[in-house]
Amino acid sequence: MPLLTCNDLTVSYAPSAKPVVDGVSVQFADGRFTALVGPNGCGKSTLIKAIMGFLPASSGSVLLNDTPLHGIGRRELAKRVAYLPQENYCPDYITLGELVELGGYARYSLFGGPGERDRALFMDALATVGLEGMASKPVNALSGGQRQRAWIAMILAQDADTILLDEPVNHLDVHYQYAILALIRSLTQRGKTIVAVLHDLNLTSAFADEVVMMHDGKVVSHSDTRTTITADNVRRVFDFDADVFIRDERLVCLPRNRTDVVT
Amino acid sequence: MIRYRYPAMLAGATVVLAALLANLAFGATSIDLRSVVRALLAFDADDYDHFVVVYQRLPRALIAVFLGATMACGGAVLQGLTRNPLASPGILGINSGAMLFVIVGAFIFNLPMEWQGVAAIAGGLFGFVSCLFVTRMTGMSKDPRGLALILSGAVLSMLYGSVANAIMLASPSRRSDFLSWASGNINHVYVERLMDFWWLGALGLGLLMVLARPLTLVTFGREKAASAGVDVSRVTWISVGAVVVSVSSAVAICGPIGFVGLVTPHIVRPFVGASFARALPANALIGAAICLLADLAARTVFAPHILHTGIMMDLLGGLVFAIIVKRYYLSPGVREASR
Repeated sequence: MPLLTCNDLTVSYAPSAKPVVDGVSVQFADGRFTALVGPNGCGKSTLIKAIMGFLPASSGSVLLNDTPLHGIGRRELAKRVAYLPQENYCPDYITLGELVELGGYARYSLFGGPGERDRALFMDALATVGLEGMASKPVNALSGGQRQRAWIAMILAQDADTILLDEPVNHLDVHYQYAILALIRSLTQRGKTIVAVLHDLNLTSAFADEVVMMHDGKVVSHSDTRTTITADNVRRVFDFDADVFIRDERLVCLPRNRTDVVT
Repeated sequence: MIRYRYPAMLAGATVVLAALLANLAFGATSIDLRSVVRALLAFDADDYDHFVVVYQRLPRALIAVFLGATMACGGAVLQGLTRNPLASPGILGINSGAMLFVIVGAFIFNLPMEWQGVAAIAGGLFGFVSCLFVTRMTGMSKDPRGLALILSGAVLSMLYGSVANAIMLASPSRRSDFLSWASGNINHVYVERLMDFWWLGALGLGLLMVLARPLTLVTFGREKAASAGVDVSRVTWISVGAVVVSVSSAVAICGPIGFVGLVTPHIVRPFVGASFARALPANALIGAAICLLADLAARTVFAPHILHTGIMMDLLGGLVFAIIVKRYYLSPGVREASR
């Protein structure tokens, strides 16, 4: 049963401008890792922000389990959907423990703080991302890969069933790209629904269950990785000739000719 | 799970207590600590030392505590919200706006003293909003270091200060009532105003404490805070309002004394962190201690002359201001490297 649904969603930055997200209807399957791919400016991040309600939709709707997601208030939305922006800023001197505790904010009452259940969840979140025992470390003293895991721990502490991530492996070296994506993929086994904006098609095929390929604000293809990442689709959306082949049951996508890709 | 820094809080409380006792004990005449404590706990109306402690020094000390707590918390919140190390009530126009409105109210509209608190709050709000407005007019509001914000605040503070001074100087018969207040002075006679306005400061600080957690989230950025469940606009404006109300009530009492709001958050942050739930109480404590010591210094360093506390504070603050500018603005590598 599909969980998160966009119906004919259209978003423009100015009333007269060309829509950045243009009548997108898409369903993100429950408990699956869906990758959003497409060239720069195709509307991937904008779609995520529109789902979060940061950008007003000029038409269309976003439903979670058949109920509208917008207009329920920030707190209620945060209990259902978590979001990791592309760039994250942490003030100096904030510790990992404080970061994770703030992640659970939506569940706290005005004068109360985290309870027993919350604290257990924090420990679990830190253990899941492999940062247990580091709660007293300042976030800004962590390495790049550790910091990205810290942000994911904060999101896990939020305990939402749907998690949207905007380029979660940006700026990371290959090792950490694999580690973070493996971690994100493992979350689907806990029943989380993952939607992540990714750039690398090989990383996408290695880790995602489904791919939504976008071009010019529209969804071009939405299916499993092998159906979506094809030479035809890559030609049409990314504008280069690709060799797409299966090796050891895994899809690999590389440019056919190194001199062929022109800017 | 979380770093509970009770030792740091305890140290802060000890510092305040020590500063308070020193403030009460030293001055034109030194009074030994036993007399100070006895004056507070078992007041003897016939004892001159007791009289000095309770009617001259204690009022000043209470004003200093109020001033330090409100200004330091205001500075911590503004620095967090603007992500700017130089932000503080004195620099973003709140102090000078409050001062301007008090002077205009008293000299032009003949407002009675009870209404000066209201005038101060309206003026504080006017000062801050006009500072944001001028920043937007420069078209540099996206400038990452927020230089435009700081410069607008500095320019407007000077403007409002000079207008207020001009109004005062234009009526020689009444200016003496306000001249010393306008340069930022803690005086034991101002304790009546403390009685009138203390609850405004308490209200503001209480609101900030209630909002401590969402306010901390807002310092991470709008989208981050909103996605965690914070109503960002509401939290931002309520807390800015709370800062303006508490800071302006302090200005209404003892005039615009600024630098404690700039300096204290920088002293406190390395010890208790940037989470407001602990940073606010710590700022209140250390801000109070700094004002108590500045007041003590103003009374004793140039004895028998008594300096205005505001002038003493500017002396200290100017130095710290230069250090902060050097650390955050003149060495571009420092902040990037610490990311």
